[in-house]
Amino acid sequence: MTHKQTDQHHSLFVMISSAIISTILAFLLFHYVPSSSANIALVYILALILTAHYTNGYLYGIIFSLFSVICVNFFFTRPYFELNFTLTGYPITFIIMFSITLLTSTTTSHTKIQAKLLAEREEIVSRAEKEKMRANLLRAISHDLRTPLTSIIGETNAYFEQDMSNSQKEEVVHKVNDDAIWLLHMVENLLLVTRIQENEKAKVNKSTEIVEEIVSEAIYRFKQRQPDAKVNVSIPDHYIELPMDPLLIEQVIINLLDNAYIHSKSNKPIDLKIIDENTSVSFHVRDYGIGIEPELLSSAFDGLSSRSSDVSDAHRGMGIGLSICKTIIEAHDGTIIGKNRVAGVEFIFQLPKEDY
Amino acid sequence: MSKYTVLIIEDEQHILDLINGILISHDYKTIQAKTGKQGISLISSMCPDLILLDLGLPDMDGLSIISEVRKWTSNPIIVVTARTNEEEKVNALDLGADDYITKPFGTQELLARIRTSLRHSNRLNTDSQLYSRPYRCDGLVIDFKRRSVTINDKDVHLTPIEYKILAYLAQNSGRVVTHASLMTHIWGPFSETDNNKILRVNMVNIRRKIEQNPADPKYIFTEVGVGYRIKEDVNME
Repeated sequence: MTHKQTDQHHSLFVMISSAIISTILAFLLFHYVPSSSANIALVYILALILTAHYTNGYLYGIIFSLFSVICVNFFFTRPYFELNFTLTGYPITFIIMFSITLLTSTTTSHTKIQAKLLAEREEIVSRAEKEKMRANLLRAISHDLRTPLTSIIGETNAYFEQDMSNSQKEEVVHKVNDDAIWLLHMVENLLLVTRIQENEKAKVNKSTEIVEEIVSEAIYRFKQRQPDAKVNVSIPDHYIELPMDPLLIEQVIINLLDNAYIHSKSNKPIDLKIIDENTSVSFHVRDYGIGIEPELLSSAFDGLSSRSSDVSDAHRGMGIGLSICKTIIEAHDGTIIGKNRVAGVEFIFQLPKEDY
Repeated sequence: MSKYTVLIIEDEQHILDLINGILISHDYKTIQAKTGKQGISLISSMCPDLILLDLGLPDMDGLSIISEVRKWTSNPIIVVTARTNEEEKVNALDLGADDYITKPFGTQELLARIRTSLRHSNRLNTDSQLYSRPYRCDGLVIDFKRRSVTINDKDVHLTPIEYKILAYLAQNSGRVVTHASLMTHIWGPFSETDNNKILRVNMVNIRRKIEQNPADPKYIFTEVGVGYRIKEDVNME
């Protein structure tokens, strides 16, 4: 059945039921309350307004106004059970009822049109916002990808075009290697995010994992990437199970450790602390470095900020890394926050345990 | 000693050149195939000692190559995969691949995996005493004859199940052992391999007993979604 047809059926149903109900009411009034012709007319007028309001277009209202005029004439005015169009004031009654119909129907359809327009406008706005977000993310990604690529091309060109000493050559290769590793990390992050489904109830495929296994693999992989980094891990002595997509949570831990290592500008060991709360488990990654400016901290998860304004380091922006963390944690119904401490920064994320 | 022959099945020329260069400079002989069909025919005609197989080939599914090859040879197969695809890794191992390595890999990692796989396959062929020689690595010693485990000469007390798990990992040191194969080995062929909670609980306890910091382990590494790998036995080097 098409939308229009359902609408028509609905209007017809409204009209017929209000006709039946108003006529029954009128008969009851007529029977129990003597000389209530004015009230009977009012009952029909009320039913008429309701009909005009709850039906589409003018047609049902007009039919109903004709019906009520005839009913009043036929049943409730002398001579009873006869139509008599010669009654004084009859045309006036009819015209008034007709105008009520027209007026109500017009207002109703006007409101409906306005509501529709409003909804359309809202949809356009929300679509535009989504587009904007996507464009922002794309811009952030391309920016983050382009910077290391530019540096790789620059370094290799320099290698081809200049006579370099062996130590210079080695430096070039190191830089290129660093950039390539960083790029790969980025791409892996982006790939992982495709595991999260938008607009679906189960956004991630959760399985029950043991927290220390996830943490240990994350640390292992982080140390492969950053062999010089030091991490102090503390984890409760008992065995904690937590539902999650293990690769995604591992990536969050790696990203946070990476940020702490690269952006703190400090060689002090990073603390990774896991705390078993009642209904959730919280993961704390804390560095003892330079901290983040408060205004940057608040927008750190938006995908556009970078901790320092220092250009040489800009491509290692926290930007996408943190916004990916946020996306992942939120898809797990968890929370993530960043806080400045006396020395350094602490990032904390919490994941809910099963059944909570 | 004659050189080992490694067949590389990989469709990307750059990666093929890269692996080829690494292997040749480390004294292996190499054969190259760029498609699955070519690979299979080279395996039957050249009998390589080891096969390095990229699962993402254009002409056929990498997994079907493994099951095809496993019908007639037990030569070690190391699968090259992307990190994010745990299911593919498990399937490859279940079909008979010996180990896997995820892209991107370092030179040392690749060579270590190849050495480990070759050693394990040799052990099967020669029926050497390696199974009865103790496993040794960074102070951890597992003596299979005495069924004892020590760390820096201090006894570690394991339950019989924990010992069985650890011994099985140690006998496959350097290689990943899947959850399913551990379950079958310890609890028998009719164990519920889908529900590996009992294995993981035992694993947690083993770590508590042998690792100084279970969240930053020295010996037993978790391969999320796949299984466990114990550090290579130093006797093997």
